[in-house]
Amino acid sequence: MADLTPAPCDIGELMSAYLDGELQPGELDHVVEHLGECTDCILEFRQLKEARATVRTLPRLEVPERLLPSFHFGPELSAYLDGELPTEEQTLVFGHLQACDECRDELHELDAARTAIRSLPGLEPPVLLDVHREPHRARWQGRRGRVVAVAAGAVAAAVIAVGVAGNSAPEPTIDLDSFTNQHVARASVEAGFTVIPAVGPVGLEP
Amino acid sequence: MAEESIPTWEDVARRYGRKIYNFAYRLTGNPDDAADLVQEVLLRVRKGLASYTPGSFDGWLWRITRNAFLDGVRRNQRRPTSALPDDDRLALVPSPSPDEVLASVRLSEDIQSALLKLPIEFRECVVLCDVVGLTYEEIATAIDSPVGTVRSRIHRGRKMLRELLTWPI
Repeated sequence: MADLTPAPCDIGELMSAYLDGELQPGELDHVVEHLGECTDCILEFRQLKEARATVRTLPRLEVPERLLPSFHFGPELSAYLDGELPTEEQTLVFGHLQACDECRDELHELDAARTAIRSLPGLEPPVLLDVHREPHRARWQGRRGRVVAVAAGAVAAAVIAVGVAGNSAPEPTIDLDSFTNQHVARASVEAGFTVIPAVGPVGLEP
Repeated sequence: MAEESIPTWEDVARRYGRKIYNFAYRLTGNPDDAADLVQEVLLRVRKGLASYTPGSFDGWLWRITRNAFLDGVRRNQRRPTSALPDDDRLALVPSPSPDEVLASVRLSEDIQSALLKLPIEFRECVVLCDVVGLTYEEIATAIDSPVGTVRSRIHRGRKMLRELLTWPI
Protein backbone atom coordinates (compact mmCIF):
# COMPACT_ATOMS: atom_id res chain seq x y z
CA MET A 1 0.00 0.00 0.00
CA ALA A 2 1.37 3.37 -1.03
CA ASP A 3 2.40 5.77 1.69
CA LEU A 4 0.02 8.73 1.33
CA THR A 5 1.58 10.74 4.13
CA PRO A 6 2.82 14.02 2.63
CA ALA A 7 6.52 14.60 2.83
CA PRO A 8 7.48 16.90 5.69
CA CYS A 9 7.99 20.53 4.67
CA ASP A 10 11.74 20.64 4.91
CA ILE A 11 12.55 22.81 1.93
CA GLY A 12 12.28 26.15 3.78
CA GLU A 13 15.30 28.19 2.80
CA LEU A 14 15.87 26.04 -0.26
CA MET A 15 13.02 27.95 -1.86
CA SER A 16 14.93 31.22 -1.80
CA ALA A 17 18.02 29.49 -3.12
CA TYR A 18 15.84 27.97 -5.85
CA LEU A 19 14.59 31.44 -6.82
CA ASP A 20 18.17 32.68 -7.00
CA GLY A 21 19.48 29.68 -8.91
CA GLU A 22 21.73 28.88 -5.97
CA LEU A 23 20.72 25.30 -5.16
CA GLN A 24 23.43 22.74 -4.70
CA PRO A 25 23.52 19.69 -6.96
CA GLY A 26 20.92 17.19 -5.87
CA GLU A 27 18.68 19.73 -4.16
CA LEU A 28 16.75 20.78 -7.22
CA ASP A 29 14.85 17.51 -7.64
CA HIS A 30 13.87 17.53 -4.01
CA VAL A 31 12.54 21.10 -4.13
CA VAL A 32 10.63 20.64 -7.35
CA GLU A 33 9.15 17.36 -6.18
CA HIS A 34 8.02 18.85 -2.89
CA LEU A 35 6.56 21.97 -4.50
CA GLY A 36 4.57 19.68 -6.75
CA GLU A 37 2.73 18.13 -3.86
CA CYS A 38 2.60 20.69 -1.05
CA THR A 39 0.14 23.55 -1.41
CA ASP A 40 1.44 25.30 1.70
CA CYS A 41 4.93 25.46 0.29
CA ILE A 42 3.64 26.56 -3.09
CA LEU A 43 1.93 29.48 -1.36
CA GLU A 44 5.07 30.36 0.57
CA PHE A 45 7.14 30.04 -2.56
CA ARG A 46 4.90 32.55 -4.35
CA GLN A 47 5.16 34.95 -1.45
CA LEU A 48 8.93 34.70 -1.43
CA LYS A 49 8.99 35.29 -5.14
CA GLU A 50 6.85 38.38 -4.63
CA ALA A 51 9.11 39.71 -1.89
CA ARG A 52 12.20 39.14 -4.02
CA ALA A 53 10.63 40.88 -7.01
CA THR A 54 9.52 43.76 -4.81
CA VAL A 55 13.04 44.54 -3.63
CA ARG A 56 14.33 44.24 -7.15
CA THR A 57 11.87 46.87 -8.36
CA LEU A 58 13.57 49.50 -6.22
CA PRO A 59 14.96 52.16 -8.53
CA ARG A 60 18.72 52.27 -8.99
CA LEU A 61 20.03 55.58 -7.75
CA GLU A 62 22.79 57.61 -9.35
CA VAL A 63 25.77 58.26 -7.12
CA PRO A 64 26.30 62.02 -6.69
CA GLU A 65 29.15 63.13 -8.95
CA ARG A 66 30.79 65.05 -6.11
CA LEU A 67 31.60 61.74 -4.43
CA LEU A 68 33.62 60.46 -7.33
CA PRO A 69 37.05 61.52 -8.55
CA SER A 70 36.99 63.54 -11.73
CA PHE A 71 37.71 61.34 -14.68
CA HIS A 72 37.01 61.14 -18.37
CA PHE A 73 36.14 58.21 -20.54
CA GLY A 74 38.41 57.16 -23.36
CA PRO A 75 37.90 54.08 -25.52
CA GLU A 76 34.57 53.49 -23.82
CA LEU A 77 33.08 56.39 -25.78
CA SER A 78 33.51 54.70 -29.15
CA ALA A 79 32.13 51.47 -27.79
CA TYR A 80 29.27 53.49 -26.31
CA LEU A 81 28.50 54.99 -29.71
CA ASP A 82 28.45 51.56 -31.27
CA GLY A 83 26.30 50.07 -28.53
CA GLU A 84 29.05 47.62 -27.71
CA LEU A 85 29.33 48.25 -23.98
CA PRO A 86 27.75 45.92 -21.45
CA THR A 87 24.44 47.35 -20.25
CA GLU A 88 25.82 48.37 -16.90
CA GLU A 89 28.75 50.26 -18.39
CA GLN A 90 26.49 51.82 -21.00
CA THR A 91 24.39 53.24 -18.17
CA LEU A 92 27.53 54.43 -16.42
CA VAL A 93 28.77 56.31 -19.46
CA PHE A 94 25.31 57.72 -20.12
CA GLY A 95 25.12 59.06 -16.58
CA HIS A 96 28.60 60.54 -16.81
CA LEU A 97 27.83 62.28 -20.10
CA GLN A 98 25.04 64.21 -18.45
CA ALA A 99 27.53 65.95 -16.22
CA CYS A 100 30.79 66.05 -18.17
CA ASP A 101 31.11 68.63 -20.97
CA GLU A 102 34.53 67.31 -21.94
CA CYS A 103 33.37 63.76 -22.54
CA ARG A 104 30.27 65.04 -24.33
CA ASP A 105 32.43 67.09 -26.72
CA GLU A 106 34.66 64.08 -27.28
CA LEU A 107 31.59 61.99 -28.04
CA HIS A 108 30.39 64.54 -30.60
CA GLU A 109 33.73 64.44 -32.36
CA LEU A 110 33.85 60.67 -32.38
CA ASP A 111 30.33 60.58 -33.72
CA ALA A 112 31.27 63.02 -36.47
CA ALA A 113 34.27 60.89 -37.44
CA ARG A 114 32.16 57.77 -37.41
CA THR A 115 29.52 59.39 -39.58
CA ALA A 116 32.16 60.53 -42.07
CA ILE A 117 33.67 57.07 -42.32
CA ARG A 118 30.32 55.43 -42.69
CA SER A 119 29.29 57.81 -45.43
CA LEU A 120 32.13 56.66 -47.68
CA PRO A 121 30.73 54.85 -50.69
CA GLY A 122 31.92 51.39 -51.60
CA LEU A 123 34.33 51.28 -54.55
CA GLU A 124 35.01 48.61 -57.08
CA PRO A 125 38.69 47.65 -57.15
CA PRO A 126 40.41 47.98 -60.51
CA VAL A 127 40.25 44.52 -62.08
CA LEU A 128 43.86 44.54 -63.26
CA LEU A 129 45.13 44.86 -59.73
CA ASP A 130 44.07 41.28 -59.16
CA VAL A 131 45.55 39.90 -62.29
CA HIS A 132 49.19 40.50 -61.50
CA ARG A 133 49.12 39.70 -57.80
CA GLU A 134 49.00 35.95 -57.90
CA PRO A 135 50.60 35.25 -54.48
CA HIS A 136 48.14 37.50 -52.67
CA ARG A 137 45.25 36.04 -54.53
CA ALA A 138 46.27 32.59 -53.40
CA ARG A 139 46.27 33.77 -49.80
CA TRP A 140 42.83 35.25 -50.17
CA GLN A 141 41.65 31.92 -51.48
CA GLY A 142 42.84 30.27 -48.34
CA ARG A 143 41.02 32.75 -46.18
CA ARG A 144 37.82 33.12 -48.03
CA GLY A 145 37.46 29.58 -49.20
CA ARG A 146 35.68 28.26 -52.16
CA VAL A 147 33.54 31.26 -52.98
CA VAL A 148 36.58 33.25 -53.87
CA ALA A 149 38.06 30.27 -55.64
CA VAL A 150 35.03 29.91 -57.86
CA ALA A 151 34.89 33.62 -58.57
CA ALA A 152 38.55 33.61 -59.38
CA GLY A 153 37.98 30.81 -61.85
CA ALA A 154 36.42 33.27 -64.24
CA VAL A 155 39.71 35.04 -64.68
CA ALA A 156 41.94 31.99 -64.32
CA ALA A 157 42.71 31.77 -67.99
CA ALA A 158 43.80 35.36 -68.08
CA VAL A 159 46.00 34.86 -65.06
CA ILE A 160 47.72 31.89 -66.61
CA ALA A 161 48.22 33.67 -69.89
CA VAL A 162 49.80 36.63 -68.20
CA GLY A 163 51.82 34.38 -65.94
CA VAL A 164 53.34 32.48 -68.84
CA ALA A 165 53.97 35.39 -71.05
CA GLY A 166 54.74 37.95 -68.44
CA ASN A 167 57.55 36.67 -66.26
CA SER A 168 59.44 39.76 -67.07
CA ALA A 169 56.42 42.02 -66.59
CA PRO A 170 57.01 44.80 -64.04
CA GLU A 171 55.40 44.46 -60.63
CA PRO A 172 52.22 46.54 -60.64
CA THR A 173 52.29 49.65 -58.54
CA ILE A 174 49.34 51.36 -56.94
CA ASP A 175 49.25 55.10 -57.04
CA LEU A 176 47.69 55.78 -53.64
CA ASP A 177 47.34 59.49 -54.26
CA SER A 178 45.43 58.87 -57.39
CA PHE A 179 43.35 56.21 -55.72
CA THR A 180 42.47 58.50 -52.83
CA ASN A 181 41.67 61.39 -55.08
CA GLN A 182 39.43 59.19 -57.11
CA HIS A 183 37.75 57.96 -53.97
CA VAL A 184 37.16 61.38 -52.51
CA ALA A 185 36.00 62.74 -55.81
CA ARG A 186 33.42 60.05 -56.06
CA ALA A 187 32.46 60.27 -52.42
CA SER A 188 31.93 64.00 -52.54
CA VAL A 189 29.17 63.70 -55.09
CA GLU A 190 27.36 61.05 -53.11
CA ALA A 191 24.20 62.26 -51.43
CA GLY A 192 24.70 62.76 -47.72
CA PHE A 193 28.48 62.79 -47.81
CA THR A 194 29.89 65.03 -45.11
CA VAL A 195 33.18 65.04 -43.34
CA ILE A 196 31.84 66.84 -40.29
CA PRO A 197 28.09 66.80 -39.88
CA ALA A 198 26.10 69.80 -38.85
CA VAL A 199 26.44 70.52 -35.17
CA GLY A 200 23.52 69.21 -33.28
CA PRO A 201 22.59 67.13 -30.29
CA VAL A 202 23.85 63.60 -30.34
CA GLY A 203 21.47 60.92 -29.26
CA LEU A 204 22.84 60.05 -25.87
CA GLU A 205 20.29 57.54 -24.82
CA PRO A 206 21.98 54.15 -24.73
CA MET B 1 37.07 42.76 -13.43
CA ALA B 2 39.88 40.34 -14.16
CA GLU B 3 41.32 38.73 -11.08
CA GLU B 4 44.90 39.37 -12.19
CA SER B 5 44.67 43.11 -12.57
CA ILE B 6 44.68 45.53 -9.70
CA PRO B 7 42.52 48.53 -10.52
CA THR B 8 43.27 52.05 -9.46
CA TRP B 9 41.00 53.55 -6.87
CA GLU B 10 39.61 55.86 -9.57
CA ASP B 11 38.62 52.78 -11.52
CA VAL B 12 36.93 51.38 -8.46
CA ALA B 13 35.09 54.65 -7.89
CA ARG B 14 33.96 54.77 -11.47
CA ARG B 15 32.92 51.16 -11.80
CA TYR B 16 31.55 50.49 -8.35
CA GLY B 17 30.59 53.91 -7.01
CA ARG B 18 26.99 53.58 -8.10
CA LYS B 19 26.62 50.09 -6.66
CA ILE B 20 28.21 51.09 -3.40
CA TYR B 21 25.91 54.09 -3.20
CA ASN B 22 22.83 51.98 -3.83
CA PHE B 23 23.97 49.41 -1.29
CA ALA B 24 24.56 52.18 1.23
CA TYR B 25 21.29 53.94 0.54
CA ARG B 26 19.21 50.80 0.85
CA LEU B 27 20.93 49.87 4.09
CA THR B 28 20.84 53.28 5.71
CA GLY B 29 17.72 54.77 4.16
CA ASN B 30 19.02 58.25 3.64
CA PRO B 31 21.25 59.99 1.10
CA ASP B 32 23.59 61.68 3.56
CA ASP B 33 24.57 58.45 5.28
CA ALA B 34 24.88 56.79 1.90
CA ALA B 35 27.21 59.54 0.67
CA ASP B 36 29.29 59.30 3.83
CA LEU B 37 29.60 55.57 3.37
CA VAL B 38 30.68 55.89 -0.25
CA GLN B 39 33.40 58.34 0.76
CA GLU B 40 34.53 56.12 3.59
CA VAL B 41 34.65 53.05 1.36
CA LEU B 42 36.63 54.85 -1.33
CA LEU B 43 39.10 56.06 1.27
CA ARG B 44 39.56 52.53 2.57
CA VAL B 45 39.92 51.21 -0.96
CA ARG B 46 42.58 53.81 -1.69
CA LYS B 47 44.54 52.77 1.35
CA GLY B 48 43.89 49.08 0.92
CA LEU B 49 44.85 48.77 -2.74
CA ALA B 50 48.52 49.14 -1.81
CA SER B 51 48.38 45.83 0.04
CA TYR B 52 45.71 44.15 -2.06
CA THR B 53 46.75 40.86 -3.60
CA PRO B 54 44.89 39.76 -6.71
CA GLY B 55 42.05 37.45 -5.93
CA SER B 56 38.33 37.94 -5.64
CA PHE B 57 38.20 41.69 -6.05
CA ASP B 58 34.45 41.87 -5.58
CA GLY B 59 34.67 39.88 -2.37
CA TRP B 60 37.42 42.18 -1.11
CA LEU B 61 35.55 45.34 -2.05
CA TRP B 62 32.23 44.30 -0.55
CA ARG B 63 33.91 43.16 2.64
CA ILE B 64 35.38 46.65 2.96
CA THR B 65 32.01 48.18 2.16
CA ARG B 66 30.17 46.03 4.65
CA ASN B 67 32.72 46.66 7.39
CA ALA B 68 32.54 50.39 6.77
CA PHE B 69 28.78 50.20 7.07
CA LEU B 70 28.94 48.24 10.33
CA ASP B 71 31.50 50.67 11.75
CA GLY B 72 29.12 53.49 10.92
CA VAL B 73 26.27 51.69 12.60
CA ARG B 74 28.36 51.23 15.74
CA ARG B 75 29.30 54.89 15.75
CA ASN B 76 25.72 56.00 15.34
CA GLN B 77 24.03 53.52 17.59
CA ARG B 78 22.15 56.25 19.33
CA ARG B 79 20.71 57.51 16.12
CA PRO B 80 17.54 55.92 14.75
CA THR B 81 18.29 53.54 11.91
CA SER B 82 15.56 54.95 9.71
CA ALA B 83 15.63 58.57 8.70
CA LEU B 84 12.39 58.27 6.83
CA PRO B 85 9.59 60.33 8.27
CA ASP B 86 6.84 58.45 10.05
CA ASP B 87 4.11 57.72 7.63
CA ASP B 88 0.65 57.28 9.04
CA ARG B 89 -1.08 56.79 5.74
CA LEU B 90 -1.04 53.06 6.17
CA ALA B 91 -2.70 53.29 9.55
CA LEU B 92 -5.70 54.89 7.88
CA VAL B 93 -6.32 51.99 5.57
CA PRO B 94 -9.50 50.30 6.81
CA SER B 95 -8.65 46.61 7.00
CA PRO B 96 -8.07 45.93 3.31
CA SER B 97 -7.35 42.49 1.97
CA PRO B 98 -3.71 41.46 1.90
CA ASP B 99 -3.63 41.84 -1.88
CA GLU B 100 -5.03 45.33 -1.71
CA VAL B 101 -2.50 46.28 0.90
CA LEU B 102 0.30 44.77 -1.11
CA ALA B 103 -0.76 46.74 -4.15
CA SER B 104 -0.84 49.93 -2.11
CA VAL B 105 2.68 49.60 -0.77
CA ARG B 106 4.49 49.27 -4.02
CA LEU B 107 5.98 52.69 -3.60
CA SER B 108 9.68 52.42 -3.18
CA GLU B 109 9.50 54.42 0.04
CA ASP B 110 7.41 51.68 1.56
CA ILE B 111 9.74 48.98 0.38
CA GLN B 112 12.66 50.98 1.70
CA SER B 113 10.91 51.40 5.00
CA ALA B 114 10.30 47.66 5.22
CA LEU B 115 13.93 46.99 4.42
CA LEU B 116 14.99 49.19 7.30
CA LYS B 117 12.90 47.14 9.68
CA LEU B 118 14.91 44.01 8.94
CA PRO B 119 17.71 43.09 11.32
CA ILE B 120 20.96 44.33 9.86
CA GLU B 121 22.36 40.89 9.15
CA PHE B 122 19.28 39.97 7.10
CA ARG B 123 19.09 43.38 5.44
CA GLU B 124 22.66 43.35 4.21
CA CYS B 125 22.28 39.88 2.68
CA VAL B 126 19.02 40.77 0.94
CA VAL B 127 20.45 44.03 -0.38
CA LEU B 128 23.68 42.43 -1.55
CA CYS B 129 21.64 39.79 -3.36
CA ASP B 130 18.69 41.74 -4.77
CA VAL B 131 20.07 45.26 -5.12
CA VAL B 132 23.78 44.75 -5.74
CA GLY B 133 23.36 41.44 -7.53
CA LEU B 134 26.05 39.35 -5.85
CA THR B 135 25.98 35.57 -5.79
CA TYR B 136 25.65 33.70 -2.51
CA GLU B 137 29.34 32.85 -2.71
CA GLU B 138 30.31 36.50 -3.15
CA ILE B 139 28.05 37.53 -0.30
CA ALA B 140 29.59 34.85 1.90
CA THR B 141 33.03 36.32 1.16
CA ALA B 142 31.80 39.83 1.84
CA ILE B 143 30.26 39.03 5.21
CA ASP B 144 32.88 36.43 6.09
CA SER B 145 30.33 33.69 6.75
CA PRO B 146 29.48 30.31 5.22
CA VAL B 147 27.22 30.16 2.17
CA GLY B 148 24.66 28.29 4.27
CA THR B 149 24.38 31.31 6.54
CA VAL B 150 23.86 33.57 3.56
CA ARG B 151 21.16 31.32 2.23
CA SER B 152 19.36 31.25 5.54
CA ARG B 153 19.56 35.02 6.04
CA ILE B 154 18.27 35.81 2.58
CA HIS B 155 15.38 33.44 3.07
CA ARG B 156 14.44 34.77 6.46
CA GLY B 157 14.88 38.34 5.33
CA ARG B 158 12.51 37.84 2.43
CA LYS B 159 9.93 36.16 4.63
CA MET B 160 10.04 39.10 7.00
CA LEU B 161 9.78 41.53 4.14
CA ARG B 162 6.75 39.76 2.81
CA GLU B 163 5.08 39.98 6.19
CA LEU B 164 6.01 43.64 6.56
CA LEU B 165 4.69 44.53 3.14
CA THR B 166 1.50 42.56 3.48
CA TRP B 167 0.59 43.60 6.98
CA PRO B 168 2.25 46.93 7.56
CA ILE B 169 2.51 48.03 11.14
